[in-house]
Amino acid sequence: MENKPPNRRTMWGRRSVLAAGGATLLAPATTWAEQPPVRFGLTPVFLDSDIQLLAALEQYLSGQIGRPVSLVKKRTYQEITLMLLSGQLDAAWICGFPYVQYRSQLSLLAIPVYNGRPEYQSYLIAGAQNPASSIHDLRGHIHAFSDPNSNSGFLVTRAELAKLRETPESFFADTFFTYGHRNVIRAVSSGLAGSGSVDGYVWDVMSSLEDEMVSHTRVVRKSDWFGFPPVACTRTARNSGTVQSIAQALFRMADEEQGRQILSTLHLDGFAEGDDILFDGIARNYALVKEQA
Amino acid sequence: MKSWRINPRNWTLSVKVPLLVAIMMVGIATVISQVVLTRISESQEKNLKRLAGAYLDGISTAVAPHLPRQDIWETYDALDRARGGYEGLRARYTIVTLPDDRVLAASEPERFPVNSLTPTILRSRFESGRSLDIDEDAKLAWVRRELISDNVVLGRIYSEIDLTELIRERHEVLVTLIAANSLLTILFAAVGYLVVRNMIQPVSVLARHVEQVRSGATDRIPDREVSRQSPEFAALFRRFNAMADALHERSNLARRLADEEKLALLGKLASGMAHEVNNPLGGMMNAIDTLRRHGDKPEVRETSLGLLERGLAGIRNVVRAALVTYKGVDAPGMLSRKDLEDLQFLVHHETVRRHLRLDWTNALPDHVRVDGAAVRQATLNLLLNACAASPINGTVSFDARIADGKLAIAIADNGPGLPEPVAELMREATPETLPPSGSTGLGTWTAARLVLRMNGNFDIVTSPSGGTAIRLFIPVDKQEEALDAVA
Repeated sequence: MENKPPNRRTMWGRRSVLAAGGATLLAPATTWAEQPPVRFGLTPVFLDSDIQLLAALEQYLSGQIGRPVSLVKKRTYQEITLMLLSGQLDAAWICGFPYVQYRSQLSLLAIPVYNGRPEYQSYLIAGAQNPASSIHDLRGHIHAFSDPNSNSGFLVTRAELAKLRETPESFFADTFFTYGHRNVIRAVSSGLAGSGSVDGYVWDVMSSLEDEMVSHTRVVRKSDWFGFPPVACTRTARNSGTVQSIAQALFRMADEEQGRQILSTLHLDGFAEGDDILFDGIARNYALVKEQA
Repeated sequence: MKSWRINPRNWTLSVKVPLLVAIMMVGIATVISQVVLTRISESQEKNLKRLAGAYLDGISTAVAPHLPRQDIWETYDALDRARGGYEGLRARYTIVTLPDDRVLAASEPERFPVNSLTPTILRSRFESGRSLDIDEDAKLAWVRRELISDNVVLGRIYSEIDLTELIRERHEVLVTLIAANSLLTILFAAVGYLVVRNMIQPVSVLARHVEQVRSGATDRIPDREVSRQSPEFAALFRRFNAMADALHERSNLARRLADEEKLALLGKLASGMAHEVNNPLGGMMNAIDTLRRHGDKPEVRETSLGLLERGLAGIRNVVRAALVTYKGVDAPGMLSRKDLEDLQFLVHHETVRRHLRLDWTNALPDHVRVDGAAVRQATLNLLLNACAASPINGTVSFDARIADGKLAIAIADNGPGLPEPVAELMREATPETLPPSGSTGLGTWTAARLVLRMNGNFDIVTSPSGGTAIRLFIPVDKQEEALDAVA
C-alpha cells in the first residue's frame, strides 16, 4: 500500500506560529493561550514514558494547528476509546481493535506508515532461552498480554487460540495484562511471564532502543499483517475544522523539521490517509473470538 | 635465656609498669571495642529495622491495591520500580505472596515463579512470629510484613536484605579501633617506660647505695645527685646520707672495739703466758743451779736436764700456740685438728688458776675446710669465757666433731649461766650488731661476729640449775673466706 504522506508546506510553520503569537499581542480578541485546547488522546504506546517526545508532539501539533494542544494519556485503551466516543477528545491515536469494535461510530483520520507500509504484525515472544517455535510450545506458560483492547497485544493471540478451540485460561497456566507493549517485553525479559503477546513494531523498535532488555526475549511467531494503530475521530466530528487541522498536521509531519524529529523518534515514516480495508483482518479475528464466546 | 628474664618478679619497674599499662590498655581497648561494636550492632539492627520498615511500608503501599485483584503485573511493576530506590538498604529480592503463600510476584521472577509456593526455609524464619531474622555469617537478613485490611490478610511481603555493607562498616570500625588502640597502647607503654624510668631513677640510686651498705661500704650519695632530685627524694637521700654517716661511725667504733678486745685478750694471754713460762722457770733455774753444783754426777745431770727439757717443752708449746693464734695458720682456709688441740695450752693458765677440770674431746679429722684462724679465735674466746664463768673447782668441757657436714664445737661450763642479752646477741648477731654495753660480753660478741662471717650459727642452752652449753656450727663446704675486718 502506497499511502504517501502529503508533501504540502504548512501554513502554520514554526515561524508562522511565532509571527501569529506576536500578532495576537496586538489583537483585541482572545489570546492564543486562552483558546480552548485541542484534546488529542494517546494510548499507551511504547514511548508513552518519553516526556520529551510528548512535549515535542504537543508543541508540534500546537504550532501546526495554531491552538494549544492537550495530549491526553490514559492507562488503558478502553479509557481513551470511551473518552473519544463520548466527545471528550477531538481525536485519538488508538488501536485497530477498538477502531474495529466501534467502527460505526469512528472515522479513520490518519494511519502511521512504518517501514513504508501502514501495517504491522503481532509477535508471540518468549524468553531468549526458550526453544519454542510455535504457539503450541507455549502451552502451560504464564502469558503476558498487553491490553484486552489491543489487537497485537491480545486479540491476535486470542483469535489464534480460538482457532485451536482454546482460551487463554485453558491454554496458559495464568495470564495477566501489563497495559503496555513495553511492559510485555519487560515481563517476559524478567521471567515473570514465560511468553507474551506484543506489538511487532514496538518489539522491533525496542530492540534498538533497549537492546539489553529485548535481548532476553525472542520472537516465537510473527502474525499476519494488520492495519497499524490508527488516529481516529468520531464520525460526527470528522469534518470539523479542528479534526481537519489535526489530520493536516499529521500529514505534514514528514515535511517539518520538528515533525521529522518526532517521526524519527517513533521510527515512523509519516502519517497517511488510511483505508478501512486495512482493518478487515482485525475484524475477522474479532468476529472469531466473539463467535467462540 | 637467664631466669630473671623469665620470672616476672625479677623484672624492673621500668619494664613492669609499661607492660602493665600495655596490658591494661589492651584490656580497656578490648572492652571499649566490645562495647562500641555491640552498640554499633544494636544501632545497625535498629537502623536496619527502620530502613526495612520504611522499605516494606513503601512496597506495601505500592502493592496493596493490586493484591485483592491478584494483579501480577502491577505487583511486579511496583517491586521492579522499588529496586535500588531505597538508599542504605539493598534488598536482594522481594516476594509478594497471597495469603496461602503462593507467589503473586517477585522481584526475581525466575527464582520465585508466579504461583509457586514461597520456599519453606524462608517461611520457617518467621515461624516464631518475629518479623526480622538476621544471619550475620551469611551477611543476610530477612524481613516479613503481613498486608492486612479490615482484619483480613491480603498477602505477605518477604524480602532478603544484603548486610554486606553493614558488616563491612562494622569491620572497618573494628579495624580502626584495633589500629587506634594498638597505636595508643604502644604510645602509652613507651611514655610509661620513659616516665617510670625517670621516676624510679632516684630509687635505683638509693638501691645501689643500700646494696653497698649491705656489703659493708657506707658511701654517701654525692651531693650533686641529691641536688638533682625532687624535694621528696632529696630529703630521702639526705636521710640516707645521715644513716650512712652513722653506720660509718658505728663501723669504726666496732673496729676499734674489736682491736681493743684483741689487745685485752692479748694482755690476758701475755699474762697467762708469762705465768706459764714463769712456772717452769723456777724449777729450771734450780736445775741449772744443781747442774752447776752437781753436774758431774750423771744421775743428777740426767734428772736436771730432764727437768730443763720438760720446762722448755712446756714453754715451747705455749709460745707456739700463741704464734699460731696471732700470726695465722700455715694453710689459710683450713683448720687442722692440732690447731684446736693447742688451745689447751692457751687456757691452761686459767684452768690452773681456778682449779678447773677441762674435759677435752677433739674428734676432728686432721684437716677441716673452715677458716682455721677464725675458728681458733672464736673457740678460744668462748673457752676463756667458760673458764671465767666457772666456779673454782668447776668443770669446763670441750667437744669438737663433724656432724651433718658441719663443724660442731660444744663448750660447756657449770657457771651461773650466760646472761640472756648476751645469748640473744649471739643468736641474732648481724654484721652491724654493736657490742653490749659494759665490760662483759665483748669476747662473746667477737666470737659471734666471727661465726657469722663463716655463715655459722649458735645453739645456746642455759640450764636453770646453772651452767651454759654453747654449740657453734660452721658449714664446712660453704664457709666464706675469712674476713679480717674483726680479726
